[in-house]
Amino acid sequence: MNTQLRRTFYLFAAGFVALVGVMAYWQVYAREDLTNHPSNGLQSQRSQETPRGLIFAGDGETVLARSERAGGNEYERIYPEGEVFANVVGYWSNRFGASGIEIGQNNNLSGTGEPETLDELLNQFSGGPETGNNVTLTVDPELQREAYNQLAQSNTGRGAVAAFDPQTGETLALATYPSYDPNVVIDEGFEEISNEPNNPLLNRATQVTYPPGSTFKVITAAAALEAGVRPTDRFNDDGTYETPGYSFGNYRGKAYGNVTFAEALVFSINTVFAQIAVDRVGPEKLAAMAREFGFGYEYEDYPLYVAPSDLGLPPEEWAEGNTAPISFGQDRVVSNVFEMGLVASAIANDGDMMQPRLVREVRSSDGIILDRPTPRPLNEALPEGTARTLNEMMQGVVEEGELVAAQIQGTKVAGKTGTAENPQGEPHSWFISFAPADDPEIAVAVVVENGGVIGEDGAAETPALTIAGNLMRAYLDRPAPAPPSTQPNLPAGVPGGGPGEVLDPAQRPAQPSAPDQPGAPVDPFAPFRNAAPQQQQQSQPGQPPASQQQPLQPVPRPQDEGPG
Amino acid sequence: MTQRATIPMAIALLITTLGFATLIFVQEAKSPPLIYGAYYAGTMVALYLGVRLWLPHADALLLAVVTLLTGVGLVMIYRLTYDVSGRENLATTQAGWILVGTAALVLTALLFKNYHRLFNYKYLLAAVAVGLIASTIFFGYEVNGAQLWLKVGPVNFQPSEFARIALIIFFAGYLADTRDLLAATSRTILGVQVPALKYFGPVAFVWAASLGLLVFEKDLGSSLLFFAVPLLMLYVATGRIAYVILGALLFAAGSLTTYYLFDHVQVRVQTWLDPWSDPNGTGYQVLQSLFSIADGGITGTGLGEGFSQAIPEVQTDFIFSAVASELGLLGSTALLLAFLVFVYRGIKISLLAADDASKLLAFGLTSMFAIQTLIIVGGVTKAIPLTGITLPFVSYGGSSVVGNFILTGLLLVVSENAGRRAAEEATPEFVEGEAA
Repeated sequence: MNTQLRRTFYLFAAGFVALVGVMAYWQVYAREDLTNHPSNGLQSQRSQETPRGLIFAGDGETVLARSERAGGNEYERIYPEGEVFANVVGYWSNRFGASGIEIGQNNNLSGTGEPETLDELLNQFSGGPETGNNVTLTVDPELQREAYNQLAQSNTGRGAVAAFDPQTGETLALATYPSYDPNVVIDEGFEEISNEPNNPLLNRATQVTYPPGSTFKVITAAAALEAGVRPTDRFNDDGTYETPGYSFGNYRGKAYGNVTFAEALVFSINTVFAQIAVDRVGPEKLAAMAREFGFGYEYEDYPLYVAPSDLGLPPEEWAEGNTAPISFGQDRVVSNVFEMGLVASAIANDGDMMQPRLVREVRSSDGIILDRPTPRPLNEALPEGTARTLNEMMQGVVEEGELVAAQIQGTKVAGKTGTAENPQGEPHSWFISFAPADDPEIAVAVVVENGGVIGEDGAAETPALTIAGNLMRAYLDRPAPAPPSTQPNLPAGVPGGGPGEVLDPAQRPAQPSAPDQPGAPVDPFAPFRNAAPQQQQQSQPGQPPASQQQPLQPVPRPQDEGPG
Repeated sequence: MTQRATIPMAIALLITTLGFATLIFVQEAKSPPLIYGAYYAGTMVALYLGVRLWLPHADALLLAVVTLLTGVGLVMIYRLTYDVSGRENLATTQAGWILVGTAALVLTALLFKNYHRLFNYKYLLAAVAVGLIASTIFFGYEVNGAQLWLKVGPVNFQPSEFARIALIIFFAGYLADTRDLLAATSRTILGVQVPALKYFGPVAFVWAASLGLLVFEKDLGSSLLFFAVPLLMLYVATGRIAYVILGALLFAAGSLTTYYLFDHVQVRVQTWLDPWSDPNGTGYQVLQSLFSIADGGITGTGLGEGFSQAIPEVQTDFIFSAVASELGLLGSTALLLAFLVFVYRGIKISLLAADDASKLLAFGLTSMFAIQTLIIVGGVTKAIPLTGITLPFVSYGGSSVVGNFILTGLLLVVSENAGRRAAEEATPEFVEGEAA
């Protein structure tokens, strides 16, 4: 009987050994397949039960996103700053996906990246919780809030702001309006918000492209300077510029007569820029200069998706009828405040475009610095001398163009306005600028969608100019030269109602030097009214007009392309 | 027999304490009333000391293994249910059942120290066993598709857990009486020697009756147990492998029949063969089990860090998956080894027992314990089709815990008998230690 007992024991023992083998199969051999199986919800459950890292604003104190225990072991994401930072921070939802920094820095925030500290390594071994790393952004929380509020109060309430530190490439503000509350999005509000007609989920600062209008003239000017045009070179403006099939004019049909190149930028004279682009620069050089400044580049190292700016047709296909309007940012040229802010930054930084950055540092949950990117140049867009010259020309735009709304007491400001014709309605109001011009600390680009409302006298409003001025003054903490323009927006329908446009001497006593320019415009609003009037932009077969663009659609990600 | 197991006992209690400490201090689980922990530890220590006094030659190592298994079970049940509303008290209930089980073990040891008396009532026990199983048909109620439960006053219990033990006593007593007659048969049918119906009849009858009832009640796991254990006992009693082969053929035929007769058997088999075809329906439970097991890897997620709460019935049938998930391959292998130690001690008791009935009793109880473990662990790991039975001592469940304590009690009295005999046969200097 004992023989049989032993045999059955061996049978049982074999059974147990087989079970250990089965366990080894599941836990070692087949582990990865099972973990990644689509029916396996454990990983997403784990991500819900692991607190994500904090997101801080640039002051290192303002919390933009935190995880809070929501009953049981699950955490929910809280966004204390709500709409103001939504386009930057984004949202993190198990049901509706993720956006912004939440997805762009997910490896850091979720702690699912490779372990980087001894603690994390030990945690991974012991199966302890792998809390996410904390991410600190470069965004100045006060400037961001101010930018958001200014956009909210603008005449159309749709627009975007991008502000950079020209010397480091740090993003100081990246605002869009209308925005959404990420706390609502992740709490079942996604569908409703995504169906709103104003498209608040769209980041107008990076995802949308608009015709840049006359702000593009700084790129044309850069190409012209490189092509040998000097600021003092004189050009004749008879009010129109003729190309085969096209006739371009200045805003409201003005003619400026004999002007210098510098004055042409100050008064934003379309015909002179068209002449220079066609006769002195040519399509290839103009397109090359735009690429040097980042047109067509996707900024893939930037944690947010940036819709690349575009010139439309390739330069070898440009007819004179294309080159002329492209020189003043019309035709099919599209860009956004992110790109145009970097253009201003590059000019401010003596021609060197810095790598734009949004993340200042990444720390582990116990405070160890894991990553702190240093400023590095992305591209030398312009030689230093040319950049300085262009800088001075842009200072002239603000000073001699008497853009009081953008001026700062005791500080030189460089800038360029734009009033961009578009098929969606009233022109977009643009302004790009940087200050202090001799030692730039901030570069700002503002667009107010359809904000260039044209009044009865044909003059357009300039809300972007006012916003940019207010932001620069707020950031530098310096007052306006005139009684401070506390009225950030213009009442809709009041033509040119902003203080910046009022040339009443009594209102600007602090203006250090405003000598009357030879050939100064009779119409004080002329500097901003520089887009080609629509009726002069005739269509022609093979060259569809701007109305066929859809700037409000998110631009599909095109092929990878360097800036130069 | 190993008469002293103080250190293994201490280790088992230490592991249990460590488990609870991890849950309470690391996972910040709400502490269960500490008095239950004191009850538990006190009960097990008192049981150990009592057995050492009352059954000085018994195999005390069994108690250390039981302490380890019930302790791991308590930790896991607590971990899986402390934050589940409506189930917060399962761990303390289980501690109560362990107390009841301990009492049952003590009663068994007190009443049946001379367990040979039991064999005199073997037919009565067989009748009681069949009656217990049959009772659920008339008085029982259904849980999860199987009608296995009886309600007696406030207590629900599964009669088949106790019927098993009664049946094993019957088979042990009967087979010990008739083993020579069953073995010494000369008739053959189709070349297979078959025993005389006169002697085999009672075995076949009880066997068929219990099996038939269980199949009727859709209790597949118990059916498998009730089939395999008597078959192995028959093999051990007669030494004839032909019985095992014949039994296996019968089993195959029976399985095929039930497969075609019962939908729920078909579903079970289909689920086993291809759980992926219906991952959110019939395959859900076993797939969640596999996901949890795989999630554990070699070292496990750590106690309290796994997600095995997603498995339905995790605290009963699937508790092994939770152990594998949180303690990993290392932990689950260690747990399997603890079961194997119990089986090893059981077989050892059977080997050392003096008479055939004792040997068969110890073997029957041990093999039931072993096969039950193999069936459920095999089931949750998809090695074999899943059948709903408990993991002895670890799973939540009063009947199962009490039944297994009674089983342990019987093994202890058999080992006391064998140990005493070995001690008497040994030289006078021989006092304790291995008597192998």
